[in-house]
Amino acid sequence: MERKQTALVLSIGLLWPVIMVLGWKGAYLPAMILSVLLMFAHLILGAMHEGKVDPVFLAYPILAWAALWILSFVLSAYYADLFRGTAPSFSILGFHPSFAWTVLTYWIGGILTLSVGYYLLRDRWLSEETWSKFKSDIAEIRKAGGKA
Amino acid sequence: MSTGAKILIVGFSFATIVVSFLIGVWAKKKADTAQAFFGGTALFGPVVVGLSTMAAVASAFAVIGIPGIIYATGNPMTFWMLSSAAFGMAYIILGKKVRAMAELGPVSSLGDISDLRFDKSRYIKAVMSLVLFLGCIAYLAAQIKGVSEMFAHILGWNYYVTGFLIFGVLIAYMIIGGEAGGIMTQAFQGLIMAVASVIIIVGFFVVTGGFGKVLEAAAAAGTLTNGPVTKKLSADFLNAWGVLPGQVSMVYMLIPILGTVGQPQVLTRMYALKNPRDMPRLGLWAAVSHAFVGFLAVVMGFGAIYLVATGKVPPLAKADTAAFVYADSLGAWAQLLFYATALAAAMSSASMFLSLSAGIIAKDLPEALGMRKPSDKEQISRFRVMMGVLGVISVAVALTNDSMVAILGTFGWGTLMSATFPVFVLGLLWKGASKEGVACGISVALVLNILCFALVQQKFKFPGGMPWYFNVIVASIVVTILVSLFTKGAAGKNLDKAVEKVIEL
Repeated sequence: MERKQTALVLSIGLLWPVIMVLGWKGAYLPAMILSVLLMFAHLILGAMHEGKVDPVFLAYPILAWAALWILSFVLSAYYADLFRGTAPSFSILGFHPSFAWTVLTYWIGGILTLSVGYYLLRDRWLSEETWSKFKSDIAEIRKAGGKA
Repeated sequence: MSTGAKILIVGFSFATIVVSFLIGVWAKKKADTAQAFFGGTALFGPVVVGLSTMAAVASAFAVIGIPGIIYATGNPMTFWMLSSAAFGMAYIILGKKVRAMAELGPVSSLGDISDLRFDKSRYIKAVMSLVLFLGCIAYLAAQIKGVSEMFAHILGWNYYVTGFLIFGVLIAYMIIGGEAGGIMTQAFQGLIMAVASVIIIVGFFVVTGGFGKVLEAAAAAGTLTNGPVTKKLSADFLNAWGVLPGQVSMVYMLIPILGTVGQPQVLTRMYALKNPRDMPRLGLWAAVSHAFVGFLAVVMGFGAIYLVATGKVPPLAKADTAAFVYADSLGAWAQLLFYATALAAAMSSASMFLSLSAGIIAKDLPEALGMRKPSDKEQISRFRVMMGVLGVISVAVALTNDSMVAILGTFGWGTLMSATFPVFVLGLLWKGASKEGVACGISVALVLNILCFALVQQKFKFPGGMPWYFNVIVASIVVTILVSLFTKGAAGKNLDKAVEKVIEL
């Protein structure tokens, strides 16, 4: 477990400065995509229980969210470039085709995955059994004279 | 503004303040231990904590300031305001770990969690407390000044009387009810914000005809002038990146989304939740209520753009008046709801930051300096005194010293993030996060926050036009990880067995 954790933390330690330098250089789309990977690493660390992530919870909400957001930033950049300097030839629900993805995939998509998905699959994040076992483990450590 | 509208605003604001006070007084019976009084630890359900968290996160600036930024620069800031998914992300990442720490020992402040994780390191607790204090006091001063100015201006009241009246009541109910009272009043204020936001959002569609009309108007507007004021609008203005470099959108996306997990108003609410298995429900409440308030800021910015683009209002001399101009255009009911939302947003954030600042000065810093830990009763008394003293000083300074508020305004979200990421995010996610690594990381955060503050005063331009705090956050995280790789204090095999269980949970 410790190795997996350390590998993920090292990726976090590497991604932050890379994103920063890409930002300095104006390479914002790669920086945004790497930002999703950075957040993904945090989510995996948080969702991990004894070194493992529930595969269903990994697929939805985590991977579904990551895919939606990468798609969101790529589409925003694509349509911003396509219609730069002109009025767009169409809109999506009244939004500029570049901004529509901020609303649909970043905002609403983010809620549907990281909030609704998290709620729907809450037992896979923390089950009653896991929480009870944690409390009994802590009680045992206390009994054995552990610091807690 | 009409007299009728003024009466409505005064009446509704007065009712909000009175109900907040009564809730704070009522909450006194819940705050019978130091844990309950300082932290509301394990006391509340997901609805109360969810609304309270959202209300504490969405400050008055979100409602008053952000529409002006959107009017001035287009959509980059919408990434920040539409970051509702951040709550779910924060709870997935750290929710069960922070809540589980409250099972290891008495937790009534973030300093207590730091003690449990890092083997009572006084240095980590002291430096973290200092950086958190800087961020909290900055937020507090900004809330006080912003709302006092706004209400004094619209109602024609004396600025100082207005400030002391609103925040005097707030200080009183926080002294009586402590953080437990704070959480409950914030939940009430959060509810006001969410409901008012829904109504104003509906008003936006009625008045403008929807986002398509705003886009059409902006695309056709060209350059507009009003005496010396010029406003250039185009369709590009309303693409995803607006008129700022794309990397600013990147920062305004990443920092609020990932940074939410590092905000004290989110971290402290994780251990206020009674049942940790309710964390996903809490995430849903916080996200949905935030979605309304965040979207409110966006539609108010778009509304102001629409008014200017269609010639209904001349280009604004000051972008930060956008929210007021738009609210005025909707009529008395919208003005009432807008000012109620702004008041609720300011009071909820101010009460949270006042309580956190007072807790740092009354409890965490003295403990970090090695002073004797007093009894529960004594701790609560000290906290109450400190809340009163700090509250009065903050109101006085915020109302009388503009330059101090501007200086403090340098610190905020990024400052708080730079202090909490090494201690809590890395500390509770990674067994390898060592005492030495975290001490170095937060020391770098403290030094760089102050250094960057000095550079900002000198109008220094940071690379890529990115906000300075991004660089500070990166430095504090990288230093924490690097030093932890080579040191072992309170990490790896030296980690407390119970803390190890928390990290594995």
